[in-house]
Amino acid sequence: MNAVAYCFMNAMESEASATARGLRRRDPDLLDRLIEQYQHRLLRYLMYLSGNRELAEDLFQETWIRVLERGHQYDGKHEFSTWLYAVARNLTIDYLRKKHPVSLDGLMENEEHAPLEPADTRPMAWEVLLQHEQAERVSAALVSIPAEYRETVVLRFQEGLALDEIAMVTGAPLGTVKSRLYRGLNMLMSRLKEAQA
Amino acid sequence: MTRDAHDGARELIALGESLSDAQQAWLRSHLDECEACGHYAEAAGRVVRALRSQPLAADSRLVRATQMRVRFHASRLRETRERLWLVGMACLGVGLSATLTVPFLWRLFAWLGEWAGVSSWVWQAGFAFLSIAPALVVSALLLARGTHLTSNGEKQWR
Repeated sequence: MNAVAYCFMNAMESEASATARGLRRRDPDLLDRLIEQYQHRLLRYLMYLSGNRELAEDLFQETWIRVLERGHQYDGKHEFSTWLYAVARNLTIDYLRKKHPVSLDGLMENEEHAPLEPADTRPMAWEVLLQHEQAERVSAALVSIPAEYRETVVLRFQEGLALDEIAMVTGAPLGTVKSRLYRGLNMLMSRLKEAQA
Repeated sequence: MTRDAHDGARELIALGESLSDAQQAWLRSHLDECEACGHYAEAAGRVVRALRSQPLAADSRLVRATQMRVRFHASRLRETRERLWLVGMACLGVGLSATLTVPFLWRLFAWLGEWAGVSSWVWQAGFAFLSIAPALVVSALLLARGTHLTSNGEKQWR
């Protein structure tokens, strides 16, 4: 069992260091592959972070340009996704600061952010319709909670990051991440309950 | 059972899979005894499953546009780096050749000045002009053409 875990860790490390080497070379094929691999996860994260689909798409492109320019800063010792989310987060905060002088924490106080529209699903089948409604409810509930809680919930439950990875991405202490996760989940549950009532 | 115990249990439920063995054991025993926290765990599980089954959102148009933009930007960065390397090498070459030739040129100008019978400041001014003339000409040409190290081509992918 330990040997399997060791091999798995080794494979992950060598993949991360190969990614780091490729980024230092600015290998365009590697970047193409990474863009495809992380397209959904990154866009979803940016959508929930910025609260706006169009802005998220712009930030998606800018994030990859920044990955290209600053790829040499990725050390290959951590998961690439953790570094990628940190880059995307800093870019989003920079953009929002330039656009509106508010912090990420104050983002949701601005009511002009329209609720997100979930991606289209295939039409008609009854289950698909139910899923679509459920997705809309979850999206609406998610965008209604404050941004710092939403971000933690998305990183943990949608992107599957570990708590220490979330702490690295957000730059918050581990205790804060835990408390945001707990409070965020509670808020989400109560918003969903309200929506169902 | 204290209120703290319920809060603690719910916090552990929210943390999900990142619990230690001892925490998991304690949580299991608490959930066996506490119906309210059991309901909370079920509700939290439903919300987490709903979050994980949220549809994915990126489309191929965005991915292709991003890949093209990144490739274009990468080629621009490469070109800029190559140009900077060329400029650096040219500066090095000029510096070396100047170090080698300036003393000879100085003596040549001094000899020409003596031969023509002009005062020393005249041939020294001539020497200074000849030294800076190539740099002045190249600078004027580059300014007339616009800077050679930047390009605005990236905007076409936006």
